[in-house]
Amino acid sequence: MKIWYLPTLAAACLSGVTATAALAQAGNNEIAWSLKYDPKTLDPAKVDDQASETVRYFTGGVLLRVNRHTQQFEPALAASWNVSPDGKLVTFKLRSGLKFSDGSPLTSKDVVATLQRVLLPATAAPAAEEFLTPASVTVDAPDASTVRVHLPKRVTNVGKVFDEIAIEPANKPSEGRVTAGPFVIADYKRGESLLLKRNPFYWKHDASGAALPYLASMRLDILANREQDELRFVRRQYQVLDSVPADTFDQLARRAPGSVHDLGASLNTEQLWFNQAPGSPLPAWEKKWFTSRAFRNAVSLAIHREDLARIAYSGHATPANGFVSPANAVWYNKQLKPVHADVSAALRLLAKEGFHKTAAGLVDAEGHPVKFSLLTNAGNRSREKMASLVQQDLTALGMQVNVVTLDFPALIERLMHSQNYEAAMLGLSNVEPDPSSMMNVWLSSSPNHQWNPAEKTPATEWEAEIDKQMLQQAEAADLKVRKTAVDRVQQIVADQQPFIYLVYPNMLCAVSPSLNGVEFSVLQPDVLSNIDSIRWKASR
Amino acid sequence: MRVARTILIRLLRVVSLVLLAALGTIVLMRVAPGYFTDSREMDGQYASAGRAAVQERQAEEGTLAASLAVSVRGWSHGSLGQSRQYDVPVTQLLRERAAASSKLLLGGVAAGWLLSLALTLLLSARRTRAGEPLIALSTAVLLALPVGALATFCLLSEFGGPMFVLALLIAVRDFKLLYRMLRQALRAPQVLYARAQGFSYARILRVHLLRTLGAELLSLAMMSFAVALSALVPVEVIFDVPGLGQLAWNAAMNRDLPVLVAVTLVMAACVGVASLFAEAGVTQETAQCA
Amino acid sequence: MRLAFTVRPVAWVLLAFTVLAALWIVHRSPMDYAMQDRDHISEGRSAQHSTGTDELGRDRTVRTAAALLLGLAGAVAASALASSLAVSVGVGAAFAPVWIAKSLMYLCDLFLTLPWIFLLMTVRASLPLNLSPAHSAELTFFLLALLGAPVFVRVNYARAFAVRNAEWLLHGRASGLRTMQLARRHVLPHLRPLFLSQFLIYVPVCLIAEANLGTLGLGVTQPLPSWGSMLQELESSAMLAGSHWVYLPIALLVVVLLMLELVLFEVDA
Repeated sequence: MKIWYLPTLAAACLSGVTATAALAQAGNNEIAWSLKYDPKTLDPAKVDDQASETVRYFTGGVLLRVNRHTQQFEPALAASWNVSPDGKLVTFKLRSGLKFSDGSPLTSKDVVATLQRVLLPATAAPAAEEFLTPASVTVDAPDASTVRVHLPKRVTNVGKVFDEIAIEPANKPSEGRVTAGPFVIADYKRGESLLLKRNPFYWKHDASGAALPYLASMRLDILANREQDELRFVRRQYQVLDSVPADTFDQLARRAPGSVHDLGASLNTEQLWFNQAPGSPLPAWEKKWFTSRAFRNAVSLAIHREDLARIAYSGHATPANGFVSPANAVWYNKQLKPVHADVSAALRLLAKEGFHKTAAGLVDAEGHPVKFSLLTNAGNRSREKMASLVQQDLTALGMQVNVVTLDFPALIERLMHSQNYEAAMLGLSNVEPDPSSMMNVWLSSSPNHQWNPAEKTPATEWEAEIDKQMLQQAEAADLKVRKTAVDRVQQIVADQQPFIYLVYPNMLCAVSPSLNGVEFSVLQPDVLSNIDSIRWKASR
Repeated sequence: MRVARTILIRLLRVVSLVLLAALGTIVLMRVAPGYFTDSREMDGQYASAGRAAVQERQAEEGTLAASLAVSVRGWSHGSLGQSRQYDVPVTQLLRERAAASSKLLLGGVAAGWLLSLALTLLLSARRTRAGEPLIALSTAVLLALPVGALATFCLLSEFGGPMFVLALLIAVRDFKLLYRMLRQALRAPQVLYARAQGFSYARILRVHLLRTLGAELLSLAMMSFAVALSALVPVEVIFDVPGLGQLAWNAAMNRDLPVLVAVTLVMAACVGVASLFAEAGVTQETAQCA
Repeated sequence: MRLAFTVRPVAWVLLAFTVLAALWIVHRSPMDYAMQDRDHISEGRSAQHSTGTDELGRDRTVRTAAALLLGLAGAVAASALASSLAVSVGVGAAFAPVWIAKSLMYLCDLFLTLPWIFLLMTVRASLPLNLSPAHSAELTFFLLALLGAPVFVRVNYARAFAVRNAEWLLHGRASGLRTMQLARRHVLPHLRPLFLSQFLIYVPVCLIAEANLGTLGLGVTQPLPSWGSMLQELESSAMLAGSHWVYLPIALLVVVLLMLELVLFEVDA
């Protein structure tokens, strides 16, 4: 009896301790959460990874902000903006009285200097590439509050680029120490934590005129271990968990009731594909299987996607039928039908191509047993479970699948460099809904055209057609034309199955119920996108 | 003169060990798959940045010889290079993280030894063997439990920290070996004779056992040091200790060669120095025998 | 002495019984270790599944039994090989000229400092991806045996060195015993407890290391059940919160380790 009593007592003491910790934090007006790894850079112009991107989002003052919730542009440092009818001139009118976090005034001079630094090849700013031809872009400031950007040709969705450029004091890049965004970097201990303090000169005010952000500071611990992350959330040391893994979601819901959220399908996809690269070191007969549309469709038909969602993701995923998730309401092709497993239809497709089942399993027309390896990365439990489920599903067709998990660099070497693999299963994170951001996956010339990278000319007619439609949508200004093109691409992909889409993992996150004003979005950062209007509940 | 020579030879031994370990690390990592890759290559948003980084690396060290040359050139200037992952000098990273790891390692090893020694002496001193089944059961459980699981249990139950896990890990392995060693030593004729004469256990321990087992104890200490070093990675990762183990793991998974080489240098120096002690034990014994 | 009489045979019987029971379960059960009962995921004990199912709906009894057979065979063989290697090198070094001994110890130190994980990655890269799960398991245990040996070499060397310089050995030598005879009659019996302890320590290490190598594409791959992976599941709080049957593999391992200990060591009461 006594033994059982002890943990209860300990838990009681503990909850007292953690409640005190939370109160102390509320008193400090600070919130805490974690980044999975150190930001590669604090220089907002050089951001090229997710952690740095997150830091830039909270610290950088930008001309325009994409409201992550409504997915619409909102003027930020710019009071207004417009694009000329030919798309070659973008003009920004700055707000009056803007200041950097050190109190110095922010004028068009600073904006021009920042943009020029981003465009400079020596900076190697990833955002520069989005201007398509950064070398020919020029910037000028006719007066202290106007900035003009001259483009050599129209850039679709050009406003988005300015959401990624944080304005810094002219010629004094400070790596986030002097900013025009809601927070500034106050302290950074590599491998431990990052402390962001409120910018007292942030331009935004709430409806009652109170200066934003409400929070005084934010602490981002660098924490790779998920167990620790969840434990600290349950103990109320953290107020936010972005991306909760599906296998711990239900448990977390019990441990921290009222704080976990399943927001439905995310923009991300999980997919499986076969290596169709002609230069890969695979035997000729395997290349023949993988380039066969019937073979790919048969595999797709044999997979029970509902089981994948229900078992591998404990129900926190949505069966997939294409590369645009239903969460992406504007671009999702509603005509596409869900794929339901149908083993006999799959076998019929295979039989037409000369495959037949023997006692030992499926063999092709030349008598080669259908046996292949399925590569995936180690460490993603849901994906590993999916691989096992798919392995089992394909035995119904007589296919023998070897699941091989590799560490990421070894996997990338095979997928991107040596092409020495048969099939692979990975996820694709879509950070924004606009299909232009997926160009490098769909254009046959792109190195990220996974099933057959960097084709000199499209290998098949349907790939040529995808190229054509994707380019068309990128160049068109009319949304209707773009939508038609993207719908067509979705249809081709559904027919050809170069990527066999499995599920859309749901967006799972946890937020302390003590916070007010949290808005969720499918775009990064998914939980704290409206950081400037989040505050502790008054009752605390 | 002879002393100076001995010192020189031993020093040379440690230095060459450290150098060979560093060169070996470069060869192993360079030959392993995935050296010329970047995790961003697969990420649609940052793919071109990733590819550019890979190309830059390939241009700099296209061959194994080039990789070795780059590192050796750096060492000759007293530099351990620049971390690929963090883009800061490796020495700075080591400096930031050495304290946490050395504290954990020394504390863990010391506590582990003390625990296993105390347990061994306690059990071997007693004539009855009543406690043995319980000890056997708990050591079996501790041996069967993966370090990660032990760490997770501690984390969830909020009992014990990283040092505790490390100490327990070392204690259970050392105890297993130590206890058998001691039991065997206790059955040696001269010890049995001494016991029959009615010498106290403490005296037997001092006069007979410590002398005969000295070298083995040192080797055992050396072994537990190696065990602790290998357990450092999972323990630091799970408890989120910003130490060298965590750094080494990240470096291995991101193919950050300069960092991994530097961590290997530190580990090799530790092992080299520890083995000096172990060797000194054996040499001393040789002297005694001669 | 009486205790030794009673305990050791009992341990043998229990160990044999465990192995036979596992064999019987694997061969006689209507379930297959790879069969996924997708309507019964992560369930506790039921009429169909006597110890419940895992997270893919596979019968836990059959999987544990198969993992036990596979893991025990692999880990025992790997551990025996590693310990034998360590003893051989240690004894060899102790009886060899000093410079050879020092070189061997030097090599062992070097071996301990190198990041062998990259060698394993290279091995994996040089193998075909279609390596069958059984071959992958065999290869992994063999590699583990090779990589595990150096940790124990120094302890064996010190022990063998002490034995070499013992008076009774000199006596034996003086009375004309040949080296092989000396080794068989005197040296090896003195190293036996050390050998057995190493063996016992390394069995679970092998099992867990095998599971770790799964992340590099080696190890016992799906759908074969891996004892190490079952133990590693205990690292996830989500698993612990599920059925208490997740502790079955570790309970079995503890029992097997205890039995092995009782079988291997004479109980000298």
